[in-house]
Amino acid sequence: MPRRRTGRVRIWLMAPISLEKIEAIAPDQASLVAARKLVKPSGWSGISSNGAGLIWGECQGSGSSPYRVVASEVDAGYKCTCPSRKFPCKHSLALMWMRSEGKIAFAAGQAPEWVQEWTRRRRTGAGVAGKDDPEGGAVGKNAAVAAAPVVEEMDPKAEARAAAARERSRREREEAILGGLDDLDQWIADQIDNGLAGFAANAGKLCRAIAQRLVDAKASGLASRIDGLPARLYALPEQARSTAAIEQLGQLHLLAEAYRRQGILSSELHADVRREVGWTQSRESLLTEENALAVSGSWRVTATVSEVQPDRLRRLKTWLWREDVAKGPQVAVLIDFVPLAGGPTRSSYQPGDKLGATLVFYPSARPLRALIKEVTTPAQVCGVDLRLPDKTLIAAMDEYEDALAAVPWLSAWPITFCGASLRRNGENLFLSSSDGAVLPLAASQSGAAAPLLALERFDGFGLWDGYLFRLCFAQTALGRWVAE
Amino acid sequence: MNAAELKTRVVPVLMSGARRGLLDTELESLGGDRDHALLNVLSLAGQALRFTRPAQPAEYAVETWPHDERPILPQTLRAPILRLLERCTEDTARALALALETRRLRPHPFDLPRMDGFVKKHADRLGVTAQYWAQRETSPQAPRGYFDAVDLNAETWTEAAPRIRAKFLREMRKRDAESARLLLEKTWNAEDADSRAQLIAAFQTGLSAGDKDFLEKIRKDRAPRVKAAVQRFLAALSGSAADNPALAACMERIERSKSGLLKKRQTLKLELPATVKDHEAARWIQEQFADVTLAELACACELNDSQGLVDGARKDDNLLFALAMMATRERRFELLETIADEIPDAWGKMSDSNWEDSSLDDSAERARWAQAILRPKEWLPSQPFPAWSWLHRQMEGPLPTNVMREVLASKVWTAQLEEENKPGTELVQVFCALCPPELRNHLRSQLEPLTADRNDKGLMLLEILDSLEKTA
Repeated sequence: MPRRRTGRVRIWLMAPISLEKIEAIAPDQASLVAARKLVKPSGWSGISSNGAGLIWGECQGSGSSPYRVVASEVDAGYKCTCPSRKFPCKHSLALMWMRSEGKIAFAAGQAPEWVQEWTRRRRTGAGVAGKDDPEGGAVGKNAAVAAAPVVEEMDPKAEARAAAARERSRREREEAILGGLDDLDQWIADQIDNGLAGFAANAGKLCRAIAQRLVDAKASGLASRIDGLPARLYALPEQARSTAAIEQLGQLHLLAEAYRRQGILSSELHADVRREVGWTQSRESLLTEENALAVSGSWRVTATVSEVQPDRLRRLKTWLWREDVAKGPQVAVLIDFVPLAGGPTRSSYQPGDKLGATLVFYPSARPLRALIKEVTTPAQVCGVDLRLPDKTLIAAMDEYEDALAAVPWLSAWPITFCGASLRRNGENLFLSSSDGAVLPLAASQSGAAAPLLALERFDGFGLWDGYLFRLCFAQTALGRWVAE
Repeated sequence: MNAAELKTRVVPVLMSGARRGLLDTELESLGGDRDHALLNVLSLAGQALRFTRPAQPAEYAVETWPHDERPILPQTLRAPILRLLERCTEDTARALALALETRRLRPHPFDLPRMDGFVKKHADRLGVTAQYWAQRETSPQAPRGYFDAVDLNAETWTEAAPRIRAKFLREMRKRDAESARLLLEKTWNAEDADSRAQLIAAFQTGLSAGDKDFLEKIRKDRAPRVKAAVQRFLAALSGSAADNPALAACMERIERSKSGLLKKRQTLKLELPATVKDHEAARWIQEQFADVTLAELACACELNDSQGLVDGARKDDNLLFALAMMATRERRFELLETIADEIPDAWGKMSDSNWEDSSLDDSAERARWAQAILRPKEWLPSQPFPAWSWLHRQMEGPLPTNVMREVLASKVWTAQLEEENKPGTELVQVFCALCPPELRNHLRSQLEPLTADRNDKGLMLLEILDSLEKTA
């Protein structure tokens, strides 16, 4: 692929988004059909490209002024000013479609201010709705269009004052968190005194009060963990809920203890603990951090997961698998947060997609969460099988336990396996391997995964949370199976 | 304390509550204050549990997925088909199922959960894997079988869906009526009412004196539909209208008279009961004449042949409609044609009557029926969708090209395409389902100006059908 250098930022001449990709990201068939009607120059003005992956144009819709549409060929990101509740809307799809077909000429030009503004917002993390990422980044920020941060001149005195204010605020928050942790411990002790057999039945009511207390104590990460606890328990079979409550409350105490003793922890575990409690690291600081773990390679999308959080944000997780076996994490997860109302409902990546990129990992004893620092090859639909390591389920479980020993409050852990099969006991499905390892599948997958029962063996990828396995991706004799 | 002890000694206390001091000895050994020790014990027990690997179930169910000879449909069509089936009409789904059956293709097994409703409804057309999928939730005691229609034989015929079994039996009756009867006799007592009604209808083909004993045995069947059919067959065998109560009931409603100056001709008129309202007439007639044959009726009316019935009923649309249904049932397409000349809306009335059991055997028979009864230049339904949908159910495929060409050129249809009177997506879809391959481009050009919400599913169906037909 040809490339050119412009100053500090390396720019690739991007391949257009493929029609398959457009089809995959379309919210429904009606949107595709509606977009098809717009794939013609009439009705459009100023269709242009900057030659570096940005395309834009204005489309005359039913409103008085034309809709401004911009899309990124790098990651199929998009923005349109139309009021449609579908994401992407027909205008965004049509713009990508015209580019993909190549029948309509895109004028080469510099991006106008409204396009630059959109790009800046993606870069700075102001995001779709201007909401902060509750876990440290920014809404809609895994946009892959990374660029050097804008350096602004500041008055040294003002900067010193701001730094002092930040330090004061940090100290106050530390104190508040420690107070909150003491309350948390007391609350857990009360639950133990009362007995945890009935905890799951009243978890909603019991957790709400302490979660609120932790919000007040500015330990938002812990608050969110406790807020989600009832749902996690209810997702389990009834007989497993009591022991799960012991595990979950035990982890909360472990986190509280680790936070109190963070001075003696390794730097990675220290970062893990603070992040779990609620401290955040901005996207910019991670991208500019010299010591941050950066891994380049060819990545394949193995799963996309959409979860709704209690704070009315949607968490879109994109799990990536690195194809080469060079040193460094093999799996990464990109996390985007979008508003529940008015945001896309799924990742713009599709399982199987392939992209070349450099990823920067948040510091952790077991690094998983990452940001895209640079895209070298835009994501494209790829039908080729993943080269998964020849690893049995039992070896994957050993790895999980190793990770659990390093990060005791670990939640979903990626598991790749070869030669496993799906088996059924009553209504329940189990991933099983000949070496005796077995993982129960989530009940929500019992329908979608049932056709895999017909297969003798398959390779795959999934997420294990210690209770239930969520099968995300399977490579089989019948082709690729992907979780809905 | 090790992990095993934590699980056996500590976990039960954590469950029941530590207030009673059951753990105090263990807590003292951990040092520090009680609450803190309690929390540490909780964390330790929790981690011990987290490192416990899931246990193997005592046993796994044995999966017996059938071997499916049919090839899986092309990969490129998987996504379009799934999108097509999202909120499409039943006609579109049926057209797709019929196309897959004709090409002997099957859905990809991984798509079965995503098209579950479609598979359950049309399993008998989609191959044995689909049949297995559709039946996997039935109780283990319920009879199951996964046989493609073409693979059925005298050993396996009981294990297919009732529709396929009835077809198998009809085919066998054509070849060897006696063997077919013996086959049915063996399983008759194990059949449910719906199956009995579908299977006994096969006796229409090749009815002979050899069937009499069996029919006598089952003439008191509990299912009224079966009972009526058996009586009709017995009456036909005896040659006496008196033996067929249905015929007697019909004759009570038929008024016969003579008309004409030079040559007196018999005139027939069907008197509907006063309680039957206009909109109920078609259904009443359908039910009334369901178990009467043309020959019986002609005989009862003292006419030489069925054509005489048509001539006599020429001025009575209701009786002509009854004759049209009887002619359809008996595959008297030449007679049906003369009836349709008199009442071109006969098929519309049939759809009004909810008559679903036309028992037309194969596509050639259905094409002949359509050509005989459809008169697009003279009549098409003005309340269109349900009648077209009924027509597609009877046709189980596209209309003959010449008939569809007339339909597409008809005023009723072209008026639908006008600006102020655009057809809904349901009508578009059923037209696409009824359209033969030769006319798809013509229909596409007619549908193209419609908005996407009206034409998208129809156009998708046409595209998919085209692609399926190109599949080797």
